[in-house]
Amino acid sequence: MGAEILEFHHVAAGYGEREILKDVTMSVREGEFAGLIGSNGTGKSTLIKCISGLLPLKRGNISICGRENTSLKSRERARMVAVVPQSYHVEYDFTVEDIVMMGRNPYLSFRKKEGQEDYDIVEEAMKATNTEIFRDRYYNELSGGERQRVILARAIAQKPRIILLDEPTSALDVHHQIEVMELITKLNQDENMTVLAVLHDINMASRFCKRMIMLQDGAVSVDGTPREVINRKNMESLYQMKLMIRENPLFHKPEMIPIRVMEEEKAAVSKRIHVIGGAAGAVRLIEELDARGYRITAGVLNEGSEDWKICRELGISCVEIEPFTPVTEEKQQENLKLMADADLILVADVPFGVSNIENLHGLETVSGSIYFHKNALSNDYTDGELVYQLEKLEKTKKIRYIGDNDEFLNILKDLGE
Amino acid sequence: MKKAKINRKWAIFLSLAVCLIIMYICTVTGVASISFADANRILLHEILHLDMDLKGISEGSITIIRNVRLPRVALGFLAGASLAVCGAGFQGIFKNPMADPFVLGVSSGAALGAAIGIVLHFDSGFLGMSGTTLPAFAGAFLTIMLVYNISKVGKKVPVSTLLLSGIAMSQTLSAAMSILMIMNQQSMDQIMFWTMGSLNGKGWSQIVTALPYCVVGLIILFTASRELDIMLTGEDAAIQLGVNVEFLKKKVLFASTVITAAVISVTGIIGFVGLVVPHVVRMIAGPKHRVLMPLSLVFGGTFLIICDTVARSIAVWEIPVGIITSLCGGPFFIYLLGRMKRGGEL
Repeated sequence: MGAEILEFHHVAAGYGEREILKDVTMSVREGEFAGLIGSNGTGKSTLIKCISGLLPLKRGNISICGRENTSLKSRERARMVAVVPQSYHVEYDFTVEDIVMMGRNPYLSFRKKEGQEDYDIVEEAMKATNTEIFRDRYYNELSGGERQRVILARAIAQKPRIILLDEPTSALDVHHQIEVMELITKLNQDENMTVLAVLHDINMASRFCKRMIMLQDGAVSVDGTPREVINRKNMESLYQMKLMIRENPLFHKPEMIPIRVMEEEKAAVSKRIHVIGGAAGAVRLIEELDARGYRITAGVLNEGSEDWKICRELGISCVEIEPFTPVTEEKQQENLKLMADADLILVADVPFGVSNIENLHGLETVSGSIYFHKNALSNDYTDGELVYQLEKLEKTKKIRYIGDNDEFLNILKDLGE
Repeated sequence: MKKAKINRKWAIFLSLAVCLIIMYICTVTGVASISFADANRILLHEILHLDMDLKGISEGSITIIRNVRLPRVALGFLAGASLAVCGAGFQGIFKNPMADPFVLGVSSGAALGAAIGIVLHFDSGFLGMSGTTLPAFAGAFLTIMLVYNISKVGKKVPVSTLLLSGIAMSQTLSAAMSILMIMNQQSMDQIMFWTMGSLNGKGWSQIVTALPYCVVGLIILFTASRELDIMLTGEDAAIQLGVNVEFLKKKVLFASTVITAAVISVTGIIGFVGLVVPHVVRMIAGPKHRVLMPLSLVFGGTFLIICDTVARSIAVWEIPVGIITSLCGGPFFIYLLGRMKRGGEL
């Protein structure tokens, strides 16, 4: 990692009387790919404006490549820093090549016209972004993804050392989002270009950025690797909502799953509910029951399963076993102990096989009423054992079958009234 | 890219050629009965200094061609070309198709200046300017300086406040001029005629007066063409691409004001050339100022020559050319608005 290329010392800035950035101190090193995250209105875009000279600072200073920002002429700054805005609209009929050539402006003057070198650089920039195929088309006739690539090409033509991106993918579909992010990653890796990107999408930031800087209340609140920044505590304080963090199995990066902003209506009577799960079918239900204030337990859950993860996240006590091991009698005893004081027992949407059918053993002894998710019958790999167990159980206890999770929630509501 | 360059040169060359032909036609036509052959002979003698046999051509005819029609065509070209390029520059920095120097009150300032000159019977000359010219020039220039300083917010001059204060100033100055006219009813006709703009009775001396200002101003405007292109894509983007936006605004404002003030101080107010011509050129040749400005120059010059020829040939009495340009320009603008309403682009 290179020397510090972008430094902020106690930066404060805003519009009129209102101060948006209050005290930002941080630095970015050459070759870094840093993501700037924060909720709406925390000043991420304001920071970009301050660097690119659009907004004067109220206090503090910014230095770019070791030089005080205010002492830079806009030409000099444009040779070091290029900006890719959110989306960029041009009302006039400029061709793609015209727009990319504008990136050469900081190197030209009325004495020095575009030369062969400039045409070569523009050509190269268009090739790198796959925009040379529509070089003669009008910019304003392109789609959003194509436009963003053209603006990226223009930024490349500036031959900057730092590239600032202000939510470069927010107007794009998934294909073009990833395409733009991959292009930027390539620039960062191949050209050692320093990248500072404002990103709304935490998971995109987690996946592509090496470093994440979180802005809150006009200052840097957390700064570190995606793994250090994306945890439940930070994210909940940032977004003021209920969410879940898990490992993305494909990229081995933390991933945020937003759950809810509005509080669920609390149940009138807080029932004790035990959920028998172990796969992924009970996740939403467990979360929702928890949100409504029911006291939940669960079992027997395989470690690593989705049902297990949500229980861990929400701090719900459950009986757990190692992955791919069968439910032993001993574990089932623990399970039965947990459900002893439950008012309701729900057998969730879980596939039954020889290793987890044990979950249903001894249910006739519990006092709570039993609910059974019908879908579990469609995922029966027990060779008739499941039906047999249910029939046996039904001799001593009533089983209420439910069609889906919402039906169960409605039943609970009625019970409470 | 090579191809586009050739196209650009060809386009300018071709329009220049057409312009010269039109200039020629406009010089040989007119109310005074000078035969086609005679007119040609006088022209060859006057311009190319060929040793033509001018016997049999009346001294009057020679004077008409030399001192009336030729300077008139030349001044028409100078005025039209200059106003059109100023319009292109203004539309560039304002990113607004309705902008031209007149919007900021140049015309009202000049008119008030001229009116004061007429009322006070200024006779003395200064720097080759005389009578109404000097006060008109000063009026135009002072108005823009005032509008510029009113619009200043900190170190910046936002386009919206510039336009608004321009319009406000324009109205105020027009009202002041009206008061002046009512208080000096004996000068009313003269002031009215001045504001209508005319090339009638203008000669080489007016051209000599305006030319240096126009040349300097036009050179300054032409050097700004690449940066004006970038301005069209947005002020923020322009700053991020290294354009010194505030300096560019000042440069274009200053150069255009000098040009416009110089032109209208000798011709009176000739409206719509600066608005309409850059529009038409943009529709034909695209928004790039490297093409737009030279083509606007040629088209603007040609347009005004044609309008002036119409003005002096259409009726027994002479119609001020400002009326003809407005008569063409107004409906054209309405047509443009209609296009815009139907979802087309300006």
